[in-house]
Amino acid sequence: MNNFSNMVWVESRKAIRSRMPLWTAIGSLFMPFGIAFLMYVSKNQEIAHKLGLISAKADLVAYAADDWQAYLGLFGQLIAAGGFILYVLAVSWVFGREFADGTVKDILAVPVRRASILAAKFLITGIWSAGLALIIFVVGLALGAAIHLPGGSASVILQGSLLVLATAGLVIVVVIPFAFFASLGRGYLLPVGMAILALMMANLVAVAGWGEYFPWAVPGLLAQGKSSLTLASYAVVMLTGLAGMVATYLWWKYADQSR
Amino acid sequence: MNLTIETENLGKRYGSVQAVENLSLQVKEGEIYAFLGLNGAGKTTTIRMLLGMIKPTSGSVKVLQTPVKLGSREPWARVGYMVEVPHSYPELTVRENLEVARRLHPGTPPQAVNRVLERLGLGMYANRRTGNLSHGNALRLGLAKALLHEPRLLLLDEPANGLDPAGIVEIRELLLELTRKQGVTVFMSSHILAEVSRLAQRIGVIHKGHLIQELSAEDLEHNRRKRLLLQERDVEAAYQVLAAHGQPAKILQNGFIELKSPTAVESPEDINHLLVDAGFSPRQVIIEEEELERYFLRLVGMNGETQNE
Repeated sequence: MNNFSNMVWVESRKAIRSRMPLWTAIGSLFMPFGIAFLMYVSKNQEIAHKLGLISAKADLVAYAADDWQAYLGLFGQLIAAGGFILYVLAVSWVFGREFADGTVKDILAVPVRRASILAAKFLITGIWSAGLALIIFVVGLALGAAIHLPGGSASVILQGSLLVLATAGLVIVVVIPFAFFASLGRGYLLPVGMAILALMMANLVAVAGWGEYFPWAVPGLLAQGKSSLTLASYAVVMLTGLAGMVATYLWWKYADQSR
Repeated sequence: MNLTIETENLGKRYGSVQAVENLSLQVKEGEIYAFLGLNGAGKTTTIRMLLGMIKPTSGSVKVLQTPVKLGSREPWARVGYMVEVPHSYPELTVRENLEVARRLHPGTPPQAVNRVLERLGLGMYANRRTGNLSHGNALRLGLAKALLHEPRLLLLDEPANGLDPAGIVEIRELLLELTRKQGVTVFMSSHILAEVSRLAQRIGVIHKGHLIQELSAEDLEHNRRKRLLLQERDVEAAYQVLAAHGQPAKILQNGFIELKSPTAVESPEDINHLLVDAGFSPRQVIIEEEELERYFLRLVGMNGETQNE
């Protein structure tokens, strides 16, 4: 436990001093502010008239999220797509930077379990990702209140909020395998490439009707409130996260580290 | 005496490339062993196998009497190392990087950081981000990380590479002090024979993945080619006299007479007497030792046979 807390200190210090969490937090703010801005534009015809093409998009967003329930659903979908990319960046940085910066060799022949080092990395990634989800969610709530969205009963907001947070939880789980891709690719390129592929595949598979069994499509479907999701869908997500963790551990323990 | 490092028929193959083959090494406790080879000879691959970072395709490794396994925690509490170019977390300061290294070695007291900062002359850079360090100071930090937990064995890959002459002397003295006063064993790789000859008690020469020779510092002195060079006004006549007395000689382009026979090299005064008795007055009598670099190249079969004239 002492070793693990030491490793958590190490990982948190590296993350905080790099300012990467700060940059991803700033990046995550674009989501709620972007949505709120488009809704504001849609509600103000004078501004909409001046902005031209943007106003058409604003109308689309306003149409899709014209009350609290739809608005929170939109946030769930944002986390499923945009949040996913941010989380992949976080996990790629935590694991891939050891290879990109050449520091991995300094954590290999040490009297600390490889599992403790990796667990601390996963914990920091999880906290970081959850923090981003909370920022998006809390700012989204505040902006929703600021633009006076209708239909804001306590139960609607509570239910919508749970959906957003559950979506974020699922996304945090499905990005775990990207730690393995960052390790395997010894940097950032492979996980980011695989993330783009996963998003494309998620859309294709969802259109084909198999989305509820494709782990990277499940969070998006949940955010949309699709009733087709079953226990098996959640099991697939959990198994994907578990497989990512095991693969990362096995790779760090048994792969040749020749660079 | 205990063996600190023991490898038996160690080998590593990458596809069709045999990086290291049948490497059997024994490094005794408290000695400085230099692992000498050209770039790509297999030095770093060997060090990584010693550290359990690469799985050998054949043979076995024991470090501090512990069989080395991939991903194991043993015996690294007693081993300090620096592999290839020393890297650190660029966003952290020198002190923070050492703090990270300290926490990776449980049981190392917090004051070890200050101690090693002072020892490696990094005190004035303690609060500087390592991304802004010079190469020399980055190397010092790499050594500081290796020494932080007071290891019994140091595995150092090219520890003086990139240091200025003063830094090289400083590191040499530090390593000598560690072995003499604290009994630390040092296994270091290098591609510069002159550098390790002043430090190592034993030298293993690796070439194309094979350990081609192991020699002591005395062997090194003994094995290097020596020649006797004479300068004389009448070179031709002196040459004839030497030949008549059974001393094979050669007239070099620079006007010197070169003698390589053991009798000439070991007793230059006899050659001098011989010439003086024959009425010559040698202006210079020089014993020249083969340069270390040339000797090394000769050992690995590269351009070693040509001598500068």
